[in-house]
Amino acid sequence: MSENNTTQKEFGFLIDASRCIDCRACLVACSVENEVPNDISRIWIKETGVTGQFPDLSRYSAPYHCMHCDDPSCVSACTVGALQKSDSGIVTYDADRCIGCRYCMYACPFHVPNFEWDVRFPLIVKCDMCVSRLAAGEGEPACAATCPTDAIMYGEKSSMLAQAHQRIELNPDKYVDHVYGETENGGTATFYVSPVPFEEMGFPTGGIVSSAYTNRLVTHGTPAVAGAVAIGLSGIYLTIKHHEEAMAGLGEEAHGETAVSPSPAETDPDQATEE
Amino acid sequence: MFIKKIVNEIKSLSVGYFIVAAIAAAGLAVGAYRLYAGLGETTNLSKAFPWGIWISFDLSTVAFSGGAFTLAALVYVFHLHELHPAVRPTVLAGLIGYSSVLVILFMDLGRWDRFYHFLIYPNLNSALFEVSWCIALYSTILIYELSPVFLKNSRFSGVLPIIEKWTIPLVIAGVTLSTLHQSSLGTLFVIMSSRLHPLWYSMLLPVFFLILSLAAGLAMVTAGAVISYWVFKRTLPEHVMAELVWFIPWVLGVYLVLKLGELEITDELHLMFSSGMYSVLFLAELIIGVLIPIILFSFKKVRHNRVGVLVGAGFVLAGTVLNRFNVSWFAMRPVNGEVYSPHWMEVAILVGVVATAVLAYSLVAHYFPLFDETVVVTPAQEHIRKPRAVLSPEATGD
Repeated sequence: MSENNTTQKEFGFLIDASRCIDCRACLVACSVENEVPNDISRIWIKETGVTGQFPDLSRYSAPYHCMHCDDPSCVSACTVGALQKSDSGIVTYDADRCIGCRYCMYACPFHVPNFEWDVRFPLIVKCDMCVSRLAAGEGEPACAATCPTDAIMYGEKSSMLAQAHQRIELNPDKYVDHVYGETENGGTATFYVSPVPFEEMGFPTGGIVSSAYTNRLVTHGTPAVAGAVAIGLSGIYLTIKHHEEAMAGLGEEAHGETAVSPSPAETDPDQATEE
Repeated sequence: MFIKKIVNEIKSLSVGYFIVAAIAAAGLAVGAYRLYAGLGETTNLSKAFPWGIWISFDLSTVAFSGGAFTLAALVYVFHLHELHPAVRPTVLAGLIGYSSVLVILFMDLGRWDRFYHFLIYPNLNSALFEVSWCIALYSTILIYELSPVFLKNSRFSGVLPIIEKWTIPLVIAGVTLSTLHQSSLGTLFVIMSSRLHPLWYSMLLPVFFLILSLAAGLAMVTAGAVISYWVFKRTLPEHVMAELVWFIPWVLGVYLVLKLGELEITDELHLMFSSGMYSVLFLAELIIGVLIPIILFSFKKVRHNRVGVLVGAGFVLAGTVLNRFNVSWFAMRPVNGEVYSPHWMEVAILVGVVATAVLAYSLVAHYFPLFDETVVVTPAQEHIRKPRAVLSPEATGD
């Protein structure tokens, strides 16, 4: 999956919870850009709620959208391959393929994919880094372009990660020493730095191995299992048959009878009239 | 003329058929409304619980339908010809079970208008892709295995020898496909490591699903035989039933050791008693579905007694259902405190589909030679004639 990233630049986000003021301009920008209603949006806010004792109150928040994993669980799960990881690191969604099975919603360890519940022919709702906006020559996704405090930054993935570490290094007292997204679910293209532990903002704490990898370990075994079962069963069948014929050869009876009546029910007329 | 014949035929059916048909029609009408209105209004599914009781039903039904492949393997591959009389009723039950699952899956698809996309847009990494293909192919094989029942008294009975000739390779293909999809239904949840409670989450989920489906399949065959003893007055010889349930403790024993062994290796065994509601569900599942049946079926007396067989099989089936519901619903940890319970329409659609299944089974049993090889329950009974039909069904393999 990630072998070809030497030739193609990958992009990603750096999101700083200390800069987010919960103004929700990113939500509006996203909803306008992608023409989705605000309540089933591709981006939302995670927050700690108000903590501490008056007058020392604090509250932290951060915008939250698709992490664009290096090895995305949703891409692995999608029945019809509607979700794909593009060369530039975007987890894209093909609305014309999707069958609405919602497996991606359960597979995603970050609970990202949303669904148009109230539509007759619904689709998955999910951040695609404003791929069409980028293709049109705009420099950044709508959320990053709109953010008034630069809490959301967009750029080359390696540079985003470097900046994340730099911020923590320069301000070790301000930030928790953890870049969320660097190792989560096998690594992502969205990096968070935060003054409070990420669990307190309601970020999922998953493993560092992508569940897509675990999943492939099992699904890629399918052909081998199929081959083994088919050959094993054939072997058992022929072995027992051989054995039975050998036994019949010793006794030499009832053999002719079985040879002409494959499944006696079909060839036994008086059984049919029995009812 | 033909229509008149059908009308007369319908008039001759007993009232039970009409009651079941009415329930089926009501359920399917709700289903039609669901397709029209979308999922939001008709289900309680949400972002936190995108799958609900329908998926739990699918998993349980596929496990029950495992009887078809378990029995096919025992009879055709392992040459346990004595079990042959059970094949047709079981294959029909399997086919109807799978058909119900396909209908419910169709209901579950947001884009039901694109259900065929799984055929043309493959994602080989996806467990759900594998499940879809295996179920589609396996249903086709079940139709093949069952076709003699429909063709026997028809003008096409000439093709029967050809069908017989290819039975063994197709049975082997069918058992292989079943092994794959029974297990890959477990694989579905391997990717959900962050959601599923560790008592159930395991890389071995596909193995657990497969083994439990063997036990559930055997339980379904025998429970079905006992029920058809009362309903259709046809059943399996007692010794055949006893032989079938004899396998169950062994299968469940393997399951129990693997399940506990896996928890021990991953250092999660202590969760069995320290996870509150999850512990209760887990222990209930193991005690009802595994421990009690192992104990019951260890007694020869139980294996040779119809009521005993039904009770033991009932425990296996109940435990299997609980297991499937746990994995796909009860043991999915809530997100932000959100939980799921089904909308009445979800339940109504399920009831409608089950009623349709019961109706289909009864009608086929009524009109086609489904129980040819089973024994008739005579009033004096107990001296059940051993059927002639169990000699050697595979002889055409030459």
